[in-house]
Formats: sequence, structure tokens, C-alpha cells
Amino acid sequence: MSVLEKTVREPVAPAPPRGRRTTAWLLTAGLVAGLVVLVPVAAGTGAYPVPVGDVFASVLHRSGLGGGELDRIAESVLWNVRFPRIALALLVGASLGCAGALMQGVFGNPLAEPGVIGVSSGAAVGAVAAIALGLNFAGNWTVPVLAFVAGLSTVLLVYGMSRSGGRTEVVTLILTGIAVNAFAGALIGLFLFFADTAAINQITFWQLGSLSQATWPKVLAVLPCAALGLTVAPLYARRLDLLALGERPARHLGVDVERLRIVLVLVIALLTAAAVSVSGIIGFVGLVVPHLLRMAAGPGHRFLLPGSALLGALVLLAADLIARTVAEPAELPLGVLTALLGSPFFFWLLRRTRRRQGGWA
Amino acid sequence: MRRLRTRLAGALLSALALTLTATACGGPPEAASAPPPDAASAPPDRVEPLAGTPRPALPATVRSADGRTLTVRRAERVVPLSGSLSEIVFTLGLGSRVVARDVTATFEQAARLPVVTRGHDVSAEGVLSLRPDLVIAESGTGPAEAMDQIRAAGIPVLVVAAATGLDDVGPRIGAVAAALGVPSAGEELTRRTEERIAAVTRSVPRDGTKPRVAFLYLRGSASVYLIGGRGSGATSLIEAAGAVDAGAGSGLEKDFTAITSEALVKAAPDAVLVMAKGLESVGGVDGLVKIPGVAQTPAGMDRRIVSVEDGVLLNYGPRTDQVLASVVEQLYGGGA
Amino acid sequence: MKRPSGMARPLRITRALGAVRPRGRPVPPAAPVPGEVLAEAEGLTVRLGAREVLADVGVRVRAGEVLALVGPNGAGKSTLLSVLAADLPPTAGCVRIHGRPASDWSVPELALRRAVLPQSASLSFPFTVGEVVRMGRAPWTSVRPEDDGAAVAGAMAATEVTGLAARPFSALSGGERARVALARVLAQCAPLLLLDEPTAALDLRHQELVLRLCRERALAGDAVVVVLHDLGLAAAHAHRVAVLRAGRVAADGPPREVFTRGLLSRVYEQPVEVFPHPRTGTVVVLPDRAAGPSA
Repeated sequence: MSVLEKTVREPVAPAPPRGRRTTAWLLTAGLVAGLVVLVPVAAGTGAYPVPVGDVFASVLHRSGLGGGELDRIAESVLWNVRFPRIALALLVGASLGCAGALMQGVFGNPLAEPGVIGVSSGAAVGAVAAIALGLNFAGNWTVPVLAFVAGLSTVLLVYGMSRSGGRTEVVTLILTGIAVNAFAGALIGLFLFFADTAAINQITFWQLGSLSQATWPKVLAVLPCAALGLTVAPLYARRLDLLALGERPARHLGVDVERLRIVLVLVIALLTAAAVSVSGIIGFVGLVVPHLLRMAAGPGHRFLLPGSALLGALVLLAADLIARTVAEPAELPLGVLTALLGSPFFFWLLRRTRRRQGGWA
Repeated sequence: MRRLRTRLAGALLSALALTLTATACGGPPEAASAPPPDAASAPPDRVEPLAGTPRPALPATVRSADGRTLTVRRAERVVPLSGSLSEIVFTLGLGSRVVARDVTATFEQAARLPVVTRGHDVSAEGVLSLRPDLVIAESGTGPAEAMDQIRAAGIPVLVVAAATGLDDVGPRIGAVAAALGVPSAGEELTRRTEERIAAVTRSVPRDGTKPRVAFLYLRGSASVYLIGGRGSGATSLIEAAGAVDAGAGSGLEKDFTAITSEALVKAAPDAVLVMAKGLESVGGVDGLVKIPGVAQTPAGMDRRIVSVEDGVLLNYGPRTDQVLASVVEQLYGGGA
Repeated sequence: MKRPSGMARPLRITRALGAVRPRGRPVPPAAPVPGEVLAEAEGLTVRLGAREVLADVGVRVRAGEVLALVGPNGAGKSTLLSVLAADLPPTAGCVRIHGRPASDWSVPELALRRAVLPQSASLSFPFTVGEVVRMGRAPWTSVRPEDDGAAVAGAMAATEVTGLAARPFSALSGGERARVALARVLAQCAPLLLLDEPTAALDLRHQELVLRLCRERALAGDAVVVVLHDLGLAAAHAHRVAVLRAGRVAADGPPREVFTRGLLSRVYEQPVEVFPHPRTGTVVVLPDRAAGPSA
């Protein structure tokens, strides 16, 4: 396949120094190990008691390798509630983490966030419209479908409006994003104003962000988007490194910057809109995760992109575990939790990074 | 409404006699008769169960408001997902079988149960962790995914059509009682409730013009008001109290519509119906009648303010007679 | 040099969508013959908005020589460099790189043929100096990656940044950054070097070092175009200078011939003195501080 040929033929150029490369490998191993441990723990934790042993027994039983079946409710909780939720947490977390790293790379700004270019608010307009107008053309799917379509079109709109003469300047792009965000905010406000109380409740809850509505069909809907985005992204790691030098220097080094931008903005939109459409607005994962990894293993995107996907998955799985267990049997909105934990952490990050490197290069 | 009135009119004579019978059966005396006016303004927040604990005859097969048919085999662990539904189960005398509550079930008997939902955020696992054998939900309870996951675990879920008026009290009690296998207790409770409501309705002074009541949703003193329309659910209550809903009367169909202070002045309601917490947020009656807009209405000038506890105002159920009595008392008690 | 527009459109779209389309690996250029024209501009006009930044400019850059672009601020030196680098399409006229119109080269092919040092070096993320210099090797990864180590080490040694290899680029001083950026450009090993004010942030010693490097590269057969403000440096190191004034080439030739009192005084609107260095005979240019500004 052409994708593979390309990767083989273009080994990544700027090899990091030994220390960083070792850190990257150790971190990758650590993250994978973390996931291997946390997934069964998350499967075995929740309001309904299913011990980890029973989780394995049930999985073995279903894959025909012995084990044993649990009682009906436990089986149902495990397979219809918890497993899809864990799968969705992993997919959404990986998508948000990777999209955050991509976005920061594309815009050459460590503070870039998918919200900046309007994916989140665009998706929110779609979802809010579906709820407020009581649209129901695709059943339970109406909200995610509209959120996805609106998020994607917002990104394309922002990108299209900020291009001139075949180029896109970061400042123009971000300013356009701000204007579009404001417009989306106004639309949401307008829908809220005309919505009835039940719809307002639903909108508020959707905006808080949650994985509580995880089902297998939703997992299957996000899976292709996430898989495509997460596979394509690392192919551009080397070129993203070069983009850190600036647009012109990157082009001088053989990067077709415009094409890189188009492809990556589409990938970002795909990853974020898919995630937002099923889970609502879950902030700070895309911002904090790449930052942490950059601090630990350097800014090379070869590690940063897959690493952010792994850490994003791990963080969101842990956050969701907390969200659904800390107030048993009710649950906290996940988006509120990530923002609550994420923003002070981000402040600390900012101050620390500023102190260390004396500004933003 | 008309149907209910006719029925109530037919039951006029027997009503008093039955109320007396209920008292004789040993119910708490202060709640058994139509509550006296002074008690109505601060009723104790507890439900009054039917005398005796009915024995459920199960399995029971019933139709749910979502169109599904379900069979209830056991009703040892019941989870009603709204305060109003909780109230019905408790009043039917089956409160000991309820294992959790929605945050809106605030009455004394349920207050100690763990909170499992907060309105619109049903967590399937949270509900399932209670190992319920029957879940009772409103037609608006969601998210739909969570309800499907509960059904997927083999738990019967009874969906009851949401209440929009006094007419719904009977059918809702009946639906819950049928699913719990106590249809006769349901009939008894329906009869008791309807009779009490009828008794309050009869006490409404009917002299001349009906007062126009605006149902206002207040949060703080911003000068934009949300006025209740036909969808707010209060229309039926206002009409039963012998008044006219100013919002619904002026053609508002939605539950709440934002209007300006001037529009409120123009609407000139004779009285204002508010929820207790909203009233509190603007500084009580004294604060409310000073807010521009309200101050210029007849309601503001006459201080004709009707306030009802948030949790019970729109819970059309076994305690609606108390709510209605309180509304009637506040509407006519002072001025009329 | 313009493609028929009917062809251009579908081609662009195919390129935009064909992110993972397999392409032939870019072919590196043959070693240039001394005196071969590696970059050439003819009748070049560039308009940015309403302003005409370059008007009918023609220059040739040959293998084996250092060409200095000098002139007052706003004369169009950096714009000319951008056009030669194929960054900026000219409004009129033609630019040829390695004998082909600049727009006919693909981006990776160009990267093997010309390296560009921008006026100011910035970096969005805290890559280390070693990583930054290694980025210069990116065009070669699909062609000859086995030379990477030597090229990087050589470039870092030549610019005296070897000791900084492990430090983050963002922690460097302005002069250190400039040298690291130059090391990256040298590591690219392109036969055409376009350097925009490489000495601006440097101390005396490093200014000399950088221009010596330019001469060495020219001696090795490359073509070097360097934008300079210091006329003395240009006179001492460039084989040829092109003096720009208000978007036009005022003079083009060896410094000894071009740097005359009359021309420079007119171009810079400042009286200057030009005299040979007493020991080496190299042209020295100084402002004539005895004369009034409008003499």
C-alpha cells in the first residue's frame, strides 16, 4: 500500500539525542503498561460491583476460553454499559490527545486547542440545534450526526475564510476562528433562548461533556474516524517537526506546507468532531496531554503524536473512572471534571515552562 | 378539564362522607380532611400513605407509555426516577420497597434514600447497581441510551406519561399501581385524590370575574421574565383555582417565554404565581413587588403573590389537592 | 513558463488530495560546473499591493562565486532573495533555478537545489540545537541518508556550535541562534545558498567566520547569494556585488569596480569615502563624516 511505501521510504530525519529517545521508549512502555492495568481496573470498578476476577471470567467465557458466565445483570452491566464506555473513553481520549498535539504542531503554537479553530463550538451548534429544534431524523443519532457535520463544516469554513493567495497565516486563522467561535456562541445562545426547559436541560448537560451515553453503535461510529486519524497523523510527524521552523523554512526543506495544512486540518476536524459529537465538550485533554509529553520527552512529533494518543486515552479513562465512581450511584459530568483538574494544572504548566525557557521561543 | 369537572360534580355528595371514612380508618387527622387554610401555607413535606399495606399480585403485565408491554414479576426493589413517581409509590403504601430516589423526591419518607439521579442524567450503571426489579420513569426521563441499557439488563422499565394537568393524576396513579400489582389500591388512591381536589375546587369563591394569574419563572432580579405558557403545566392548576392563566390565555404555547418588563405591565396580571426558591432569589414578596415590571401590575400593587414549593408545584399526584388548596388560599385568602 | 490554466487546476487538486500518493524520489542535482548559472532572474517585477518592490531586475548567480546584495533599507534585497528562493512568484519576468523555471520544480526537488537562511530564526517548540541542525538534512532522507551524520557534524563544527548540541534552541542568545540556523542551512548541502543578512546578529569574529564559510562554499563549487549591510564585509568577501536602489539594480560587478564614491553616495543618499586599505588594497567604505548630509 502506498501509505506503507511512503513511511518506509521516508525515515524520520531529525533523530533526537539519545537521552530523549530513551525517555520516549520508556514513556511509551509506561503508557501501554498503564493502559493494560487501568482497563481491567476500570472494567471491574463502578456502582454495580463486578470484581476484576469476574471481568476476566466473563471475557474468557465470551471468547470461548473457559471462564464462567456472571448473573444476568452483571453480564449486562459489563458488556452493555461498562465495556462500551471504556472503549469510548479510550477512543475519545486518544482522538482528543492526538488532535491537540497535531493542532499545536500545525499552528506552531503550544497553546493551540481544537476549540480555537471552531470544531468544538461548531459541533456544539449542530448538537444544540438538534436538541432545541427537536430534530429527530436519525433517532438517537441525530445529535451526534449534526454535531459532526456542523463541526467539520465549521473547520472548513474557518480554513477557507482565512486563506488568501493560497496561503494561510496563523494569525488570520486564529482571528477568524475567534470570529466564528463568537458567531457559534451567539447561535447557541439563540437556540437556548428559544428552547423549552427540557431542551435547555439537555443542552446544558450535553455541553458539560459526558461518556454516560456510551453504546456499542457509538463506539463503532467513532472507531473509523479515530482509526483513520490516528493512522494518518504519525505519517506527518517529520514534516510537523520541520514546520516548527516556520512556514518558509519548512518549505525550503521540501515540505509542501499548504498540502500538509489541508490534510492535517481535516484530520484534526475528523478526530475532534467525532469525539465531540459522541461525548460533548471535554476540554483540556488536547491541551495538557501534549504539553506533559513535550516536557518529558521533547517536542519531536514522532513520539509526541502516538504518545499523546496513548496518554489521552489513559487520562480520559482515569477521569471517567473518577467521574462515574466518586459520587456513586450518580455521576459527575466528565467535561466538568477534566476542566476542573485540567485548568489549574495548565496554569502551573504555563508558569513552569515560562520560567524554564524564559518565554515561548 | 370539563370531563373532570363533570365527574367531580357527580361525586359531590359522596365526597364528604368518604373523607370522613378515611379519617375513621386512622389516617393522620391533620391531613385526612382538606387541610385548613393556615396549614396550607406550610404543609408538612410528607406523603400520606393509604391505610394498610397492599399485597402486590404479581406477575402483572402492563402497557408502558413508550408503547412497550412489560411484565413485572417482582416488586421488591423499586426505583422511581422522579419525585412525583416516588410520591405515588409511597402513597400507595409500598414505600418500603423503594430503594433510591431522584433528587426531586424531597418528602420526609423518601429523604433518607440514596440519590440515584438528578433529573436528566440517568446513569444506567448507577440504577443497575441498586439491583432493581422495577424501574419507573417519566416519558421525559433520559438519556434514551441509559434507559435502553437498563432494559438490556432485563429490568422492566415502566414509562409513565408526563403530567401536564389535573386530568393526569388518575391515569398516572393507575399506571403505577397496575405495574406494582396493586390495581385496587390504585383505584382507591385515585378516588381519594380526586375527591380531595374536588373538595378544594368547591371552596373556590366564584363571585364575578376570574383573576388573571401569570406564572413567572424567576431567578434573580434581571428584568427579563420567563412567563409560563400552555406547556408550563401550571395552566390546569390555575384554572382549577378558578383563575385564568395569563400566559396561556394570551396564546403562548411553549412552556416558558421570555418577555420584557413592559410586556408584563401590559399583560397586567391580577396575581403572580412563582416557585418558592425563585421568590427567595429576588428577596421574597417584598423584593418581588419592587421589581420593575411586577411593581406596575395589579398583582404587584395588591401584593397578590402566590408561591408554591418548587418540588410540588407541577407534581400532579396524590398531594395535588394540598398544592391547589395552598394556591386557592393565597389567591383569595388575603384580599377576597 | 505558465502552465495552461486548464491543466493547472486538476493538477493542484490531485496534489492537495494525494497526500500519500507514491512519487518518484526527488533526483539530487549533479555537481555544478564552475561558472554554471545556478539561479537567474530576468525582467523581474514584483508588486506587493500597490507598491512596486522590484522593477525589471536581472541578476545571474554562478557556481563558484559569492554574490552580495547590498543597498539601502527597502531597496528590495530580501524580496529579490525570496523570488530567487521561489518563495514569491514574480508579478512579471522569469526566475530560473538550475536552468529550469522555478515554478516547474517540485518542493522536494527545490529543497535539494537551494538552501535559504531567513532573516530571523524562530522555533515554535524547544527542539535542541542538534535536532535543529539535523532538520537541514530532511530533503536527503529519501535520497542519501547515509551522509547525514557527516554533514551535520561538519556544519556544526564550521559554525562553532558543536558544543551547544544538547541545549534547547530557545535558550540560546541571538548570535548563537543565527549560527545554529546557518549550520542547518549548510547541512542541507544545496549547491545554491541564499542567505538573508547572516551577519546581522553576530560579533566581529563570527561575522568574519560566516563570510569565510561563504567563500569556502563558493570555492567548493557552490553559488552563494548573501544580503549584507556592511559594505566593508561585502567588499572584502564577495566576488561580485549587486547594488539595489528602489527596486532596481543600480550596479552589478566586482566590488572594486562597483563601489565608487559617486555611486554609493547617490544610492545611500549619504556622502561616503571609498579608499583602498593601506595594507591589503581591499576597498574600504566609510561615511564621509566631514561633509554635510546633502553634499
